[in-house]
Amino acid sequence: MELLDRYLQAIEFWLPKRQRQDIIAELSEDLRSQVEEKETELGRKLEDAEVEAILKRCGSPLEVASRYRPQQYLIGPTLFPIYRFVLAVLLIGCVVPRFLIWLVFLLVDPAHRGYLHMENLWVTVLYFAFFTTLAFAIAERSGVKLEALNTWSPRKLPPVRDPNRISRFGSLFEIAAAVVFNVWFVSLFWPRPIIDLYGAQLTLTPAWRIFFWSFLFLAAANIAIAGVNLFRPYWTRRRASLRLVADGLGAGLFCGLLKAQVLFGISAPSLPAPKAIELTNVINLWMVRTLPWAIVTMLVILSFDVYRIMRLRCVHLHGGSIGPVVKDLSSPMVNGN
Amino acid sequence: MSQSNGNHDLFENLRLELRRGCLSLAVLSQLRTERYGYTLRKALAEQGLEIDEGTLYPLLRRLESQGLLTSVWREEEKRNKRFYRISAEGKLMLKQLGAEWQRINSSLNGIL
Repeated sequence: MELLDRYLQAIEFWLPKRQRQDIIAELSEDLRSQVEEKETELGRKLEDAEVEAILKRCGSPLEVASRYRPQQYLIGPTLFPIYRFVLAVLLIGCVVPRFLIWLVFLLVDPAHRGYLHMENLWVTVLYFAFFTTLAFAIAERSGVKLEALNTWSPRKLPPVRDPNRISRFGSLFEIAAAVVFNVWFVSLFWPRPIIDLYGAQLTLTPAWRIFFWSFLFLAAANIAIAGVNLFRPYWTRRRASLRLVADGLGAGLFCGLLKAQVLFGISAPSLPAPKAIELTNVINLWMVRTLPWAIVTMLVILSFDVYRIMRLRCVHLHGGSIGPVVKDLSSPMVNGN
Repeated sequence: MSQSNGNHDLFENLRLELRRGCLSLAVLSQLRTERYGYTLRKALAEQGLEIDEGTLYPLLRRLESQGLLTSVWREEEKRNKRFYRISAEGKLMLKQLGAEWQRINSSLNGIL
């Protein structure tokens, strides 16, 4: 019976302390009864291999012991989807932008890619994962019940989202912000030999004239698109493509501006000349160093634009959509206008 | 081959799920007569409901902690054995579960 005792001892190790003796005594009795019955049937003592076969059929010690414990988990089925969502958002928000910026630094400005230590990234990811898991495990243990689970009502659920509908408030805001910004932009940066900026005089290179008029033209185009969106609040493939082109041109212009070093000189009554030269160089240098960050931001914006076009294309080709189904079939975007 | 294995695993999971609730009913029913674990297993097996020790003993503990069974250690044939019997509360539960089982069974017979 040595095998049987070893088996019981292995099970005992994994059992809850208070019930150990009781469970082992009962299990031992059952197994010995099985062995005895088999011995009576065969008319001889069982060999080790035969005892082993009985024990193998019962299952591994850990498996047997685990059945005596209540189901245990770190984060339960109710909180788990929220945990997974939070973890995904945190990790994607932490890893993807840093990786993209690192990649762009590597391509555009390899000399300064050392500003972003990728080794630190993994430590950050581990911290995020650890503390998120810990917070949810504590919430699970403390029996936190989400208020929303008990007080939810179908009337409080968000309205059905139509990803192709353009918010009128959004369009109005876009127009207002663009007008205010461009009035400010034109009043301060109208191309002239010396620009007066709150008491400081900026001298810009002739290239500034090209950027200025291009930005102004693009701003007018964006206001026009927002104006159309205001009255026809559904994305169409044509308008979505126009938005992509406008954003693409804007991205190119902005990145070009950062790289072009348009600031020729700066002067102010209280600023000595050597300091002014130093400040000009520093501003130009930091504009160049901002370039990778700007490229990543622009890429994210352009990705959204491309995704929007693909979604509309999907609706047009298959009558379905990548997002929720669009119910309003009379909306212009279905006709691909 | 792998699909066949997948189907077999799926069947096994669904079968276990189907059996799980029935086992409590069967155990409560069999314990109208006092029995210890091994004889209970044999009694169930004789009726066509085989149950391994790893499933039975945790189930007995759970039913006892829910007040549906009572147990006592007693020596029999020079060995200590734990004898189980259905409690008064368990009898009531058995009656309710039995009625529910009949209802489900007749519904399913109609559906299938």
